[in-house]
Amino acid sequence: MEKVTLLIMLFDLLLGLGLLWLAWQLLESRNLFKAVVLFVAFGLLMALAWVRLDAPDVALAEAAIGAGLTGALLMAALAKLPSRDKSEPLADEKGHWLLRLALLLVAAGLGYVVHSLPESAPGLSAEIANNLASSGVNNPVTAVLLNFRGYDTLLELMVLMLALLGVWSLGIERSTREEPVGPVLTTLVQFLTPLLILVAAYLLWAGADAPGGAFQAGAVLAAAMVLLLLAGWPLQGLLTGVALRLMLVAGPATFVALAGLTLLDAQLLAYPPQHAGKLILLLEVAATLSIAVTLAALFLGYRPRTNKEPG
Amino acid sequence: MVPSSEIPWGALLILLPLAAAILCFVWPKLAVVTGVVTMLLLTLAVGGFAWQLQREGLYQHAVGGWETPLGIGLYGDGLSLLMLAMTVLVGLAITLYARSYFNQKQARVFWPLWLLLLAALNALFLSADIFNLYITLEMVGLAAVALVALKGGRDALNGAMRYLLATLLGSLTYLLGVALLYHSYGTVDLVLLAERIDNSPVVWAALGLMGAGLLLKTALFPLHFWLPAAHASAPAPISALLSALLVKASFYIFLRLWLVLFAPLGGDVALLLGLLGAVAILWGSWQALRQTRLKLLVAYSTVAQIGYLFVAFPLAAAAGAMLWNGVSYLMLSHALAKAAMFLAAGNLLLFGGHDRIAELDRAVQRLPISTAAFALAGVSIMGVPPSGGFIGKWLLLEAAIEQGYWLLAAVMVVGGLLASAYIFKVVGYAFTRSTATPEPQSIPMGMEWAALLLAIASILLGFTAPWVFALLGIGDPFGGGAP
Amino acid sequence: MNTALLYSLVGIGLFSLGLYALIVHAHLLRKILAINVMGSGVFLLLIALAKRTATPLPDAVPHAMVITGIVVTVAATALALTLMVRVAMENHRAELSDQSQE
Repeated sequence: MEKVTLLIMLFDLLLGLGLLWLAWQLLESRNLFKAVVLFVAFGLLMALAWVRLDAPDVALAEAAIGAGLTGALLMAALAKLPSRDKSEPLADEKGHWLLRLALLLVAAGLGYVVHSLPESAPGLSAEIANNLASSGVNNPVTAVLLNFRGYDTLLELMVLMLALLGVWSLGIERSTREEPVGPVLTTLVQFLTPLLILVAAYLLWAGADAPGGAFQAGAVLAAAMVLLLLAGWPLQGLLTGVALRLMLVAGPATFVALAGLTLLDAQLLAYPPQHAGKLILLLEVAATLSIAVTLAALFLGYRPRTNKEPG
Repeated sequence: MVPSSEIPWGALLILLPLAAAILCFVWPKLAVVTGVVTMLLLTLAVGGFAWQLQREGLYQHAVGGWETPLGIGLYGDGLSLLMLAMTVLVGLAITLYARSYFNQKQARVFWPLWLLLLAALNALFLSADIFNLYITLEMVGLAAVALVALKGGRDALNGAMRYLLATLLGSLTYLLGVALLYHSYGTVDLVLLAERIDNSPVVWAALGLMGAGLLLKTALFPLHFWLPAAHASAPAPISALLSALLVKASFYIFLRLWLVLFAPLGGDVALLLGLLGAVAILWGSWQALRQTRLKLLVAYSTVAQIGYLFVAFPLAAAAGAMLWNGVSYLMLSHALAKAAMFLAAGNLLLFGGHDRIAELDRAVQRLPISTAAFALAGVSIMGVPPSGGFIGKWLLLEAAIEQGYWLLAAVMVVGGLLASAYIFKVVGYAFTRSTATPEPQSIPMGMEWAALLLAIASILLGFTAPWVFALLGIGDPFGGGAP
Repeated sequence: MNTALLYSLVGIGLFSLGLYALIVHAHLLRKILAINVMGSGVFLLLIALAKRTATPLPDAVPHAMVITGIVVTVAATALALTLMVRVAMENHRAELSDQSQE
């Protein structure tokens, strides 16, 4: 038994050091392409850390969004930079010893503060356990995200919409890639896309009782769309105008509508307990759709438009 | 018909602009109408909310029916009301201005962003949950960045990028503080935190982290480096709302945290804040005086005026609630005056095609309404009676002299003199003829009147102090009893 | 040393490394990476300390907060990257320029 604990501790230590080492490498490597690849590796290692910390919901979100989609976004952005910008002479770092010292002191101080916290603290786990039965779902994380702190999630969906508005106003339409897509990618996409859609559906359905939920499902679905875009499928031509915009706002709009309805009973976002499960499922389906389309649209990087639409 | 006392005005202040933003995102053709109607409804809602507060006192609402610490609490008192009213007043003028300012393509992005920003600000002023505040801060920040970059151009894009990095750094630092507080006290609710807080290393770390993050967003000297570029390069209505509302939003959170959590920690921190404020006044005013471009001058003036808000901190322990009344009044009058100045500056820029101060070229005759707006707003910025700025600064000055903080008092007086100098510099050039006279552009009436009405409001504030102070006392935000 | 403390210290380390890189490096892509690393540090601290419950089940509230945080971060990153590309086109390199144009 003791041997196992020791091994686990060793694993934790290595994982922690690995995270710090990767972070240092990716922040200091001369080659930006390498930095981005290292960042994706860093995200996957983070997902492992979440698993070790008993946070499977976060691990799924990290793998899909933190590593996967952020990686894709970084790659796409890097490709749009002028080529001589991609490797950069690092700044002269001799003058930064004062900054290093200051940050070291801050880190040490914060370390001391964390060390001073009590070794055991229940947080809100008791409150969650007491109220889980009337939340409509059995996964405590989903209960917090969509019921106990559902208001946070409503605003968070608005953050996604804001970012997309910003990207649409700034992004520049690029002519689609000239070089043909290789057979490997095509086959991969044909195989992976249905699989990803299945995984997304499972995550969405499972979210009520097991790890998963709208954000993870939405991110996986977005990954499928990103793959299709990469393989040259003209999604941006198929999905435009009002239809696209309605899909983008499905989640926020459902949430706001529900908030408005609950306001008639004078209590913002209070679901009747007997309907809570169904309402949360409805919210999750709508949110998954919006999150997926929004993330894919963020990857596309400009507002897709029909020929009729004004510029 | 629901009796109007039961209408949930607080929640509507958040939901209305969210719903409207979705509507004009999906149907851009309805954007302008939706924006204007929503702004009017919000004005009504703030009125309703004020009436409700006056009758029933403190507003508290458990979102989702889940009591804190499990759920999120909405919280509204006199200070929240002042911030909401400020947002609506400035918002009305910006809405009037923006109706004519943006072309069709820009309007398509502007209106949903503007409505989301209004929703985020209202949510921020009504939230008592420090994690929820993090999300509202991110909403405010991202909306503002997108708005700064809306018209493109090299300066605006650089300004927006710098602003984005600063605002993200600020939010993350703030969030780290939130994480420490939550794991120490088991709640993110401000009311509960105030009950549970003690003097531990965690509280100091949280003060350092959350304070640093919020002061960066508030642009207190020396964390103001991102402000002039962003505020000066943005489109005029955006500059107005950045300087008038956004720096106040993070200051509001800082003030709240200070009042309920951190004030007992000590006078040394308060003194440091006061000194930084004093340096901000001198540095910002001096830089403003040195500028050759009108919008940069106005932006540096914001750096200086933020300083006044912080000068209050070392005085507060002895002066009590009346001093915070003064600070709140200063926030409100600066918001109105600075928005008026940026809108007027935007008109002058559009009219002459540039904003070089030395070439304003008889703007007094050629663009009298906007020039008058600039000058009137200047009166409030200088702190000359009977303006709103005078009341706020007078209360601060009085407290400084009473408590023997002569240095702070002197800085405030010098700041006022420097402000007069840079305002008169602009007004002076507006009277003189310059050599090059480009073909002037015509300015829509709505844009001129938006600036003038705000400027007049900032002067009229000088006469409404007793009434506003009574409203501010609702829920006793500053402790020590209502005046 | 227990797991919660170990991972929170790693979190603080990541936050500090990210902050250092954000201040020191000029290239915007690297600044954006630095912000992401800082965010991961904060999230790690939030989740690690949630493990200090007496039961095997950790406190779920920070988990939900971090999922929210991850989504907010990807949204901000997407906006930042788009802005970076535009800035790079204007400045002819992916760095902020100090001098304003006339």
